[in-house]
Amino acid sequence: MILLNYIASFFLIVLGLYCIVVKYDLMKTVIGLSIMDYGVNLLIITVGFNPGGTAPIYSFGELRPESFFVDPIPQALTLTSIVIGACVTAMSLSLVIKLKEMYGTTDTHEIRRLRG
Amino acid sequence: MNHYPILAIMAYFLCAFLIVVFGKNRAVRNILGFIGTAAPLCLLIMLAEPVLFNGAIISYWMGNRAPVGGYAIGIALEVDALGLFFGLLIATAVFVAMIYSFSYMSHDDNEPQYYTLFLMLCGGVMGLVLSGDLFNMFIMVEILTFAAVALTAFRNKVFGALEAAFKYLVVGCIGSTCILAGTIMLYAQAHTLNFAQLAAFLPGNLNTATIIAYALLFIGFCTKAFLVPFHPLAADAHGAAPAPVSVLISGVLTKSGLYGIIRLTYILFRTMGLGTVQFWLVFLGSVSMFLCVTMALAQHDFKRLLAFHSISQIGYVLTAAGLATALGVSSGLYHAMNHTLFKGLLFLCAGAVLHETGTTDLGKLGGLSKKMPVTTVLFLIGAFSISGIPPFNGFASKWLIYQATYQKAVESGNIGFLLVTVVCLVTSTLTLASFVKVTQSVFFGQLPKEYENVKEVPFGMRLGMGILAFLCIVTGLFPGLVQRFLTGPASNAVFHANSYIDAMMGFGYAEKFGLADTLPVSFESVGVWSPISWLCLLLIMLFAITIVALTSKRDRISAADKKAQAANAVSGPSFLDGAPAANKYELFFGGEESTYSQVGGDDLFWGFKHNWRHYFSFMHDLHSGIVNDYSLWAVVALALAMLYAMIIL
Repeated sequence: MILLNYIASFFLIVLGLYCIVVKYDLMKTVIGLSIMDYGVNLLIITVGFNPGGTAPIYSFGELRPESFFVDPIPQALTLTSIVIGACVTAMSLSLVIKLKEMYGTTDTHEIRRLRG
Repeated sequence: MNHYPILAIMAYFLCAFLIVVFGKNRAVRNILGFIGTAAPLCLLIMLAEPVLFNGAIISYWMGNRAPVGGYAIGIALEVDALGLFFGLLIATAVFVAMIYSFSYMSHDDNEPQYYTLFLMLCGGVMGLVLSGDLFNMFIMVEILTFAAVALTAFRNKVFGALEAAFKYLVVGCIGSTCILAGTIMLYAQAHTLNFAQLAAFLPGNLNTATIIAYALLFIGFCTKAFLVPFHPLAADAHGAAPAPVSVLISGVLTKSGLYGIIRLTYILFRTMGLGTVQFWLVFLGSVSMFLCVTMALAQHDFKRLLAFHSISQIGYVLTAAGLATALGVSSGLYHAMNHTLFKGLLFLCAGAVLHETGTTDLGKLGGLSKKMPVTTVLFLIGAFSISGIPPFNGFASKWLIYQATYQKAVESGNIGFLLVTVVCLVTSTLTLASFVKVTQSVFFGQLPKEYENVKEVPFGMRLGMGILAFLCIVTGLFPGLVQRFLTGPASNAVFHANSYIDAMMGFGYAEKFGLADTLPVSFESVGVWSPISWLCLLLIMLFAITIVALTSKRDRISAADKKAQAANAVSGPSFLDGAPAANKYELFFGGEESTYSQVGGDDLFWGFKHNWRHYFSFMHDLHSGIVNDYSLWAVVALALAMLYAMIIL
């Protein structure tokens, strides 16, 4: 189960990178960025997961050596990372809109005025 | 005093948000911007006395959550001499850029948004260099990447601004994702995100996972420093962004990447003792240095040219830092400081030219020294500094870098480091050559008619440039003091990771992991080099050049060329479109052919560019401007870094 998660997150990251490198459309580039981000999020969650652990909600008095729960820090990190991913998508989409207005296309091979 | 670092970071962010709320009025906005950049500078200068001079390390736990049982739980800020050195650099550059912005940006609309983003970027970088926590660092990386992308696209009607911003966003996000993935892989192994604890845990526990994390983090910080193969992004972004933002991107953002690399390799992983890692850094630095300076030679745009030079100078810093000697690190840090100063000055001068003439195209400009004398003088100071002309700061740091590479070659007996010295020297020469070209085509020569009414820039902009020029001269005149009070303590901190760990986690924590400060620190620098060896090197070079000159094919004018010459004599010279070699001086000695006789930037090194035309056209085709290509380079770099790390470490 855990191994499957690792494989899936690796697959998502590679798929995202593949999408960014191979697809010649700005929208697909943005989608690739998102997929890559999801892959990393899955990786973070998987790192903190303990099979059979409870939710990490304890006060200091309740905490015992035998209490078994999933690692809370990666979950906090994932939340942050999801927010950042949403910002990346929003920002890149707004840039795509402006680029479409200015260049009249979303083909990356047309949008290459700065080169050399 | 412990609260100063967090106050410095907060001042940026607080003023950024206050400008959103109260920024409608120009006076309020400017005052908030001034306070927002001046206050952190003052706070950091007050920290200089304990941290840089007395060697204290300031640790600060947010919410006072100190470590429990040897495990760091809370978020931490940790300021050692290295962090403070970079912090001071950044605060200074940001302060000057802010003063400059008041005049420079006064004609743009949406000014409040500009200042907000500007301060967010500053806060992000400051948070990054003062942070003591890996995930915190990632958040700051994201903040500064976002702010930098938005600022690049700020003048979105400018040629290529949106395009540059999009490319930067895509590749920058690949880099940020690398940093995040590396962070989480380290967390999976060490179950902590605190630098000090990681630094104690990692050196003894290098396995496949941590090594891949190392490669991921390294590539992530390379993206932020725009090292090869990420240099096209810097060039695009600089060309489109407003001048003060170029200062931020080249002087401040790249420093955050360099800081990350130094922190990662020297303190977190302590892999600098390995020759392979040294080779990796020095190789990457040398390639960045040489490749970008040749790219700069072929540019037609003022700011784009400066951008390539910027990455070239970053290559110097990485090369010197990769030597893993005290002299190397301190000279690298010295050059990093000088890079911020002179590159900031040059970008501000380019901004001044753009502000007055409305163009940065080298082919259209000329003769501005008559109209803008102050800018010209300031630009010359910057140009002399970056080319390494003696009284200015570039000379001092480059000289130290030559010595450091040479000394490393002598110490390790590896002839490859001598080659690095030669690459450094050649790059410096090419830098000088390309600044001769810029100076000639922008400030000297004949003034085009449309710029007859150009005036000197306003006082605010001259003040900003003046401060940087003054600092360029001061740091060049007193290299001993700089070494003693700034770069010396910072490089000491680089080599004393144990005190970094102990300051954070309690005394004796590092010893429990059996870590020793292995690398010796000595600044036996100036005067170590032997003049006789240099003389021998010179003679060998001279001999080599003679052989090449004697054996190379002489330029004989072929029959076809003679015919073309005869044709030209009738129809007038046509040196613009692929002229035969015999005609190339027609431009200079063509008599009264044309009344307008400006020597264009492209014509100055005609022969050089002609002989290297295959290389230049190859490089031009390689930098295709397609975002897919640049992402492919990033992926390839990542794959290579991982492979190298796994094979070698």
